Formats: sequence, structure tokens, C-alpha cells
Amino acid sequence: MRGTVPLLLIGVASLVISLSIAISVGAVPVPTATVWGVLINKLSPDIVEQTWSAGREAIVWDIRFPRALLAMMVGAGLAMVGASLQAVTRNPLADPHLLGISSGGAFGAILALLHTGLFLGLLTVPLLAFLGALGATAIVLGVSRIADATSADRLVLAGVAVSFIIMAAANVLIFLGDPRATHTVVFWMLGGLGLAQWDQLVFPLVILLACGVWLFSQAAALNAMTIGDETASTLGIPVARFRLIVFVVGALITGVMVAFSGIIGFVGLMVPHIVRMIVGGDYARVLPASALVGAIFLLWADIAARTVMRPEDMPIGIVTGLVGGVFFVWLLARRGAR
Amino acid sequence: MKTLLLSSISLLLSTGIAFAQTTVQSCNRTVTFEAPPERAVSNDVNLTEMMLVLGLADRMVGYTGISGWNKLDEEMRAGVEALPELSAQYPSKEVLIGADADFFFAGWNYGMRVGGEVTPETLAPFGIEVYELTESCTHIMEKDKASIEDMYNDLLNLGRIFGVEDRATALVEGYRAELAAFASTLEPSDPLRVFVYDSGEDAPFTAGRYAMPTALIEAAGGTNIMDDFERSWATVTWEEVVERNPEVIVIVNYGEVTAEQKRDFMMSNPAFAGLDAVRNDRFVTLEYVEATPGPRNIEAIRTLADAFRPITQ
Repeated sequence: MRGTVPLLLIGVASLVISLSIAISVGAVPVPTATVWGVLINKLSPDIVEQTWSAGREAIVWDIRFPRALLAMMVGAGLAMVGASLQAVTRNPLADPHLLGISSGGAFGAILALLHTGLFLGLLTVPLLAFLGALGATAIVLGVSRIADATSADRLVLAGVAVSFIIMAAANVLIFLGDPRATHTVVFWMLGGLGLAQWDQLVFPLVILLACGVWLFSQAAALNAMTIGDETASTLGIPVARFRLIVFVVGALITGVMVAFSGIIGFVGLMVPHIVRMIVGGDYARVLPASALVGAIFLLWADIAARTVMRPEDMPIGIVTGLVGGVFFVWLLARRGAR
Repeated sequence: MKTLLLSSISLLLSTGIAFAQTTVQSCNRTVTFEAPPERAVSNDVNLTEMMLVLGLADRMVGYTGISGWNKLDEEMRAGVEALPELSAQYPSKEVLIGADADFFFAGWNYGMRVGGEVTPETLAPFGIEVYELTESCTHIMEKDKASIEDMYNDLLNLGRIFGVEDRATALVEGYRAELAAFASTLEPSDPLRVFVYDSGEDAPFTAGRYAMPTALIEAAGGTNIMDDFERSWATVTWEEVVERNPEVIVIVNYGEVTAEQKRDFMMSNPAFAGLDAVRNDRFVTLEYVEATPGPRNIEAIRTLADAFRPITQ
């Protein structure tokens, strides 16, 4: 574990600096001093003299701060899911987006927004998004069973196939929907963090903590799975069942994240690869490092999304897609060169 | 070459004798009509109402793009009962050709998409002339800020195209007089800051500089807080809305999410708690037909002006 503590310190420091920058930039620029002033006053009122308008305070505290926290949670969550799925499928391309889980979430959200109306009030959209993600996972697992896709590669193929079918169905819903309303759908198809609100952050937080702790506790099993089913089996791991449980946990995290952020692809694919280059392949280190790097990465992706096309927000999925695509090519070239 | 010249001369002569040509400006095109259309199709509820208010139902073979999105209301239904809806949503080229249409009244994002299947260029070979909604010209050319004159312009142009200029002129003069009389009853005061909330939760879809609500709000004695936003209907950020602190919020009502749900969303989000409009619960609802260019804009201005009147305590 030599070098772990300095790495951790660098990581946490980067996270705090990134957070501070993320809150100060955007459509309306806010000085860093104001950012910290608002934060300090929220923790304990009237320590700092209030020199800013109520509007600025609302922007910092009610819009950007929850948004940045959501970015961190979604980044951490998707990266951990990606890392875990890559272990149990032994496929370096495993990613919640490629496996169709995110598409299922988007389908649920689009159904609510364009066709059913908000029959359960404001919770309708996140709830249907979550159910869609879980449903997609069930379908992927079902298909892989029908296709007898016990091997890891075929599981990923089943995911891609199901993803295509769900996206086709979602496109039918968009095509039939009011063109004036389809702009709201862009959010679910290309991702974004604009729905973040304080009182809703508790849902992703609880799921992330619960599932994250469980995944950390399974680091040894994940390490064994990366070597091979037989090795894992000889170490007493019920391979098929363990893989299923990791899938369900991954769907749970992804479903909750999609319900608040739409589809954000490639974070789960990219971050674990970068992390393994820095900390090696031991999942006791890969998982927490993935969470940290995923959080920092998505904070910066959101900063880019909010500043590149100011004053409009660019969907964050475009940023992660671009970076992820380039990363993919680099990954291919690197493998080719070997 | 010689025959071509001769035939074009004879064509010119024959048309010159048969009809008085009408030429109107439609966005960046000059469209020439040899005769008033007999088999017109209009898209969307607001454009169809322009046709109806000019008494053109008997020159139409149908309409498109209304019921697919539940926009047909009672008032509207009474005027189009005899006509078929050729397509519940945006029509395809085949639908218009199949109806033997000779004229299509539509706009960009009102039945046609830039670079799409149905455009003036793609319909021209089939003898279907297109007149484009003035508000929507901003999608293909430079345009001035939205104005109620845009709506008048469409009515007057339709009047010329269909040879009912007198009726169109009378209508527009009537609207002008109505608004002028109405404007004189407004107390002069600083214009209220108004935000148009169409839809969207992660980021609001709103009316910018080139969309009709900007003109309606100004006519009613307010200013659209997004009137410097160089777009028509488009998405902005909530941060921008909070920074500009609207005093009144106009909700555009249509689609699956109700006006009441849109109001609830704005009232319940703590980020908006400090907005003047939210603190004073000053919301006003415009129906889709009222907020998009059409004859009901006049009523919409009255509704807005009522909502803008000073709060009496």
C-alpha cells in the first residue's frame, strides 16, 4: 500500500478544488469568494458579511451546489458500476450505458414526459426512469439466459442488442410526441445535471453509500472474478449468482443515477481504465479510486458543458461521449501497438 | 432555344391576360400566385385559425398537425368540422400531394423542418406553393424582433393570396383599433419583468427575442426578461431566470404536463423561492393557440394585461 496516502490526499484536494471551480463558473459568473461566503453562512449564519444578492445566493446554494454534488455522486456511481461490471464480465468494454441499463431509464422518463403525463406528480419522471432502468436490466439478464449467454462476452452482446431495441422504442415515443416538447427529451437522451435539488439528493446518496459499501466488501471476490470463473469457483465464490447480484446492484445504482441525470455514457467505461493505470488492478483500491476519479471527471465534464456554449447548457452526455470516444480510440491504438 | 423563348413569352402573355398575378413575400422568397389557391392545407392550430378567421374554410381540403398533440379545442372544432385532418402530426410530402393540395400554409417548426422532407423547395415540383409563418422566418434568415405586426403581416398576405384583401384589411384594422383603444386604458408604469415558462425541468424552454410572446408581453405593458436572447423558442438556464428575477411568470399550456403542474414545479423548487413572481404567486396561463401567432393573440394581450395590473392590497 506504499504511496496510497499521498495519492489519496492529491485526489481529495483535486475534488475540493474542482468543486469550488464548478460552483463559481456558469451562465452567471460568481466570484469564488462569494461561493465560499455563501457556503460558510449556510453552515453557520452571519460569520461572513453578506455582500451578494439573494439571487446570487439562490444560484450558488440552490442551483449549483446540489448540481455539483449530483455530478460527484453520478460520476462516482457510474465509475464504480463500470469497474464492477468489467470485473464480473471480464470484458473491458462493460459499461452501464453499453449494457442498455441507461437506455431503459431514458425510455421510462420519455414515456412520462410525452405520453402519460405526470400522473404521480413531480416524482413521476424519476420513478419511471428508475423502473425503466431496472426493467432493462431484467430484459438483458433474461435475453442472456434465453441465448444461453453464460459467457461474459455474450452477456455484453445481449446488453448491446437490448439497448438498440429500447432506443428504437424510445425513438418511436419521441417521434409520436409533440415536437414542441421534445426538447425536454434531449435531457434524458444526452444527459444533464439540471434536475439537481437538495431534497432529492438523498435518493442517489443512500443508494450510492449502500451499494458502494457492499461493493467495497466484495473487493476480494471481484479480484477473483477478473482472473476467471474457474479460479473464482475454486475460491468458493458462487460465480453465476455473484455475477447476477453485481448486475442487480449495478442496475440499482445506474437506475437511480439515470433518474436524476439522464443518460451519461462512457464514464463507467473510461474511468476504471485510467484508475487501473494509476493504482493497479486490486479492487480494494480500484473501487474507491474509481469513485474519486469519476466524481472529479464528471464535475469537469459539467463545467465544460456549462461554459462551452454559454449561456446555454450543452448536454453533458455530449462531453462524456466526445472524451469517451477519443479515449476508446486511444485504447484501441494502445492495444494494437502491443 | 427559340422555342423556349417563344413559349415563355406566350406563357407570360396568357397568364397576364387570364389573371392579375399576386406576389407576396414569404420569409426570404418572393412567391407569385397566378390564381388564388383552391385546395389549401394549413398546419397547426394557430395557422389554421388564421385561415378560418379569413373565411377560407371552403378553399381548404384539410388541415394537419393538430390532434396528434391534443391541441384542438371547442372553438376551433366548430370551424373545421367539415374538413378532414390529413395528418395528425407533421404531414409527409405524400399526404399533401395525395390531397391534391395546391397551397400549404406552414412554418419552420410549424409543419416543416429546415432540411426536412416538406419544404417550399420539395413541394414546388408538385405544384404546391408554400406560404411561411412570419414568426418562423427567424429559423432561416435574419429577422427583426417579434412583433404583433408579424401576425398582421400573415393575415394581410393570406388576404392577397386568396383574393380576400378587403376582409384581411378590415380584420387587421379592427385589431389595431382594439389594441389602441385598449392600450389607452393601461396605466403608464414601468414595464414588469416577465418570464415565459413553456416547459422543461432541468432547464426551461422559453420564448426569446423572435417568438410571439415577446411581442404580446410588450403590448400588455411588460418586458420579456429573455428579450435579448437571440432565439425564437429555445432553452435557457434556470440561473439566468433567477438572476433576472421575473415579477410575473407566463405559463404556456399544452401537452402532457398541465399548467398547474408547471406552476407547482416553480413554486416548490427552493431555488425560485426568492423570485418576485413566486413570492407573490403571480402566474398567468396562456393556451398554446394564444401564445403562438394567430387571431387569439389579441385576447392573449388582454389576459396578460389583466395579470400585469398592480396588485391591490
